Amino acid sequence: MAAATTPITKSIHVEAHDVHGGGQETYAERLRMNRLGMWLFFISEAFLFGALLATRFYLWGNTRAEVDQVVGLIITSVLLLSSAAMYTADVAAEHGQWKVFSVASWVTMILGAVFFFGVVIFEWGLFPQIYKGHLTPWGDKYGAVVFAMTGMHALHVISGIVLIFIMWRLARKKHFTAERHWGIEAAAIYWHYVDVVWIFFYPALYLIGTAVHH
Amino acid sequence: MGHYRTGILIVFLLALLTGVEFFIALATQSVVFLMLIAAAKAILVIWFFMHVKRLWAPEESH
Repeated sequence: MAAATTPITKSIHVEAHDVHGGGQETYAERLRMNRLGMWLFFISEAFLFGALLATRFYLWGNTRAEVDQVVGLIITSVLLLSSAAMYTADVAAEHGQWKVFSVASWVTMILGAVFFFGVVIFEWGLFPQIYKGHLTPWGDKYGAVVFAMTGMHALHVISGIVLIFIMWRLARKKHFTAERHWGIEAAAIYWHYVDVVWIFFYPALYLIGTAVHH
Repeated sequence: MGHYRTGILIVFLLALLTGVEFFIALATQSVVFLMLIAAAKAILVIWFFMHVKRLWAPEESH
């Protein structure tokens, strides 16, 4: 005999269906899982950056490479400002202020690019006509560590800029709303994570220890 | 403008701590001090910019 379908049996059926994995997640549930996934990713990345930081202290001890402290302070300030711009973009998206979001996203990307070129020009010396650097990745432990740390960080800066650009394009196509913009939030926290990594790299590379002349 | 006030305050604090960090490095070279300041800056960013508290907040949109 077929059971009559009442609202209660319907509800039980839907719940049983959900338990077996066939149900539709709500946006809020998916968002929760996305956030958790993002933070687990950050934790896994922390091992990578932590290992680089440990390498610096193991190989250099209380010395450091001869790098320009003023350049370090300037590029650190630039990255800090980019984080503030990204925060503005994130808050603007949250309140549906899409013009502010657009401008703040571009400010973030430009400041990120300035940071990247600051590292490339002044630390890596890739443009000797502008600035002649003295470190090489194969030269000694100082060059190797500086290039490993700044190189891995720069890779994340570049990927962050690409992510923000993708989010900016999607926002232009009205892909997000004030209520639903996980992509923007993810790009923003990724960018801030890149900033957190630099917060530890900056003193380790530029401030701690006595500069060793080459 | 009110929505952005927290961001402005945090950036000001981060800039201040970065300046303090720079001058401590010039004056004392204390590794412990410098790493403590870095940790304080990281906590500010993780708490206010990365919204870590949303991980355990009640379900919401965004």
